[in-house]
Amino acid sequence: MGGAERSARRKRQAQNAGRGTPAVAKHKPADRKPIIIGAVVVVLLLAAVLGGVIYSNNTKNATEGQNIATSELDDAATGAAGDKVTYPVEREGAVVVVGKSTAKVTLDAYEDFLCPVCGAFEENFGDDIQRHLEAGDLRVRYHMLPLLNERSDPPGYSLDSADAALCAADAGKFTEFHQALYDAQPEEGARGWDKSQLAKLGKDLGIGSTSFKSCVESGRYDTEIQSHFDEVRTAEYLQQDINGQKGFGTPTVANGHEVVDTSNPKWLDALLDNAS
Amino acid sequence: MLDVIGTLARVGLAAVWLISGFIKVSDLNQTYIAVQAYDLLPSDVVNVVAGALPFLELALGVLLLAGLGTRLTAAVSALVLLAFIGAVAQSWARGLTIDCGCFGGGGQVAAGDTRYPQELARDLGFLVLAAWLLARPRTLLALDGWLTTRDMPAEPVDTQGRT
Repeated sequence: MGGAERSARRKRQAQNAGRGTPAVAKHKPADRKPIIIGAVVVVLLLAAVLGGVIYSNNTKNATEGQNIATSELDDAATGAAGDKVTYPVEREGAVVVVGKSTAKVTLDAYEDFLCPVCGAFEENFGDDIQRHLEAGDLRVRYHMLPLLNERSDPPGYSLDSADAALCAADAGKFTEFHQALYDAQPEEGARGWDKSQLAKLGKDLGIGSTSFKSCVESGRYDTEIQSHFDEVRTAEYLQQDINGQKGFGTPTVANGHEVVDTSNPKWLDALLDNAS
Repeated sequence: MLDVIGTLARVGLAAVWLISGFIKVSDLNQTYIAVQAYDLLPSDVVNVVAGALPFLELALGVLLLAGLGTRLTAAVSALVLLAFIGAVAQSWARGLTIDCGCFGGGGQVAAGDTRYPQELARDLGFLVLAAWLLARPRTLLALDGWLTTRDMPAEPVDTQGRT
């Protein structure tokens, strides 16, 4: 303490004396300043790193602590004021088959709940598809695939949501569940919905059974989905031109072994007209 | 004259960090995908790196622009650039088909769309700027110079950037 006080006094004296005692003024502050500057720089960089991680996680975890909204099925979808699905819904392995077996066209729809283009596809054509499912002239086999499973943070949303949709199909609520997940689609690179949120959505949609909850939380169909995905992604007839390269992508719609070009807004009407 | 070159290097590198940091901060989700595409880190670590990196870049940019702690900031910049170069090089060597995500974007691309040589050349160019400032941190219009010479206008010894 005494030494520190002395040196502080000497420093003051040196400053007061100005040029008169250059030896003291030259060494003490000149040697210390770069260290102080260095410390300030290190503190600023660390603050940027820590603050950055905290800020990033806050903005990316928007889905945390929320409930997935239950979407009302549109009138166009149900054809009536009520929102009951009137067509059969069946799960066949990792595929959900919706619509009447007497339909004249059966399509295969390959989707991923995280894929933004799939979200746009559902937004654009979901109502049309529902209308035709209700009318009975269309049947759709939905393949929910974990193509973008690594693209949520933490990873796993694609597979969890695909499994939950199959569980919801077992409980007879596939259409509502599917619709709600696309309406509340999380962003790629951000937090998805976790298993308990997916289970809660089922409950909010009126699925009371405990087996649904355990189906979602245990990932009952995960293995089945994964092996189905491995078959699908290597199927020759599903390969498409993606940025100049052959590959499998979502969404893909196929009629039999033929990929349907959905870039034409009237593709579904055209397909149904040709079939009749 | 050497001071002028150093100043250009400092402002240039500052601009690089500010621009790349700003683009990354604007789309943090994309930054996560870009970091993950390198396939180097477990997902927990990807989360931290992708969260911190944009802000570290911005901080380096601000410090370089102000000319505060130039040598130390240049050293950290060089380390970050070396990490980038290593990450891009390993992607190339392993045959991954990704975009570096250096200035936004990032993630998987088609096999014909990779630009590893250009990306590496660009990062090496930035590394030269950092190396110059590391070796010779004295520049014009820098806080370093202002802070270390203000009390001693007659002191000819160069103390700028010594950290």
